[in-house]
Amino acid sequence: MTHPGDLLSALLDGELTPEEIGAVSEHLDMCAACRAELEATAAARTALRSLPVLDPPPGLLPGTAPVPRRRMLRPVWGWVAAGAAALALSMGLVLGTAAGPAPMNLDGFSEQHTARILVQPGVQAVRAVVEAP
Amino acid sequence: MTDEAVPSWEEVAHRYGRTIYNFAYRLTGHRDDALDLSQEVLLRVRKGLRSYQPGSFEGWLWRITRNAFIDETRRRKRRPTVPLPDDDRSPLGVAPGADEALAAMRLDDDIQAALLALPIEFREAVVLCDVVGLTYDEIAAAAGVPVGTVRSRIHRGRSMMRARLS
Repeated sequence: MTHPGDLLSALLDGELTPEEIGAVSEHLDMCAACRAELEATAAARTALRSLPVLDPPPGLLPGTAPVPRRRMLRPVWGWVAAGAAALALSMGLVLGTAAGPAPMNLDGFSEQHTARILVQPGVQAVRAVVEAP
Repeated sequence: MTDEAVPSWEEVAHRYGRTIYNFAYRLTGHRDDALDLSQEVLLRVRKGLRSYQPGSFEGWLWRITRNAFIDETRRRKRRPTVPLPDDDRSPLGVAPGADEALAAMRLDDDIQAALLALPIEFREAVVLCDVVGLTYDEIAAAAGVPVGTVRSRIHRGRSMMRARLS
């Protein structure tokens, strides 16, 4: 038999007849190049089959709703509280206590600042349109 | 799924939606493109089910899926776009410092890049075989080519992958 070539993948995939398997096996016994090719093909096949199965994004399949966008703005009272805290700080009304400084609310901090970053470009864009000659 | 039963669209989407999405992702390499393609396939399935005649359902489904991909590829050739980098690695859930997971992620990226470098016919055959798990006969039916062509495409595709990965 000549070099089996394409039959090597078919051998790995169980797509050969018993006669073909016999002929290919016989050839492999005496051909180091085809044994190396079989090994390389098997490695590529294994690599492909090892790829993870991915979950489709929500919303593709029936009964799965798209994930709602996260709300970036805090409720009004949150802003009021944050403003009052800032005012108190600027007036020097907040003093250190024996227990040490209160822990910072990092979640609230990042939300406020993210919200400002999101709002600011919009404000500038509107200003640019209004103030344009 | 038996040959006689005609499933509803919801059944098809539930049963095959994930596989269709993975087929689309491996062929396109991008989450958004894969989502678009999967939605197109499910739309075609919904329309096609009205006139579907009971037979080899999976053969019918993968022919639709494969044709949607080829049509989309042709459309993009006419109107080329530059895709944004796809950095969503959430399916692996890699935690910072997880060296093994990170190595696996890089390996997956390399395999995906090698896959995308294959000519379309080879990529399609390899993905239908190694990702979807179809037999050579099923791939031949889906792609409308002889089994010998499928065998050749799969072997040449894997050889090219190996050369690129080594």
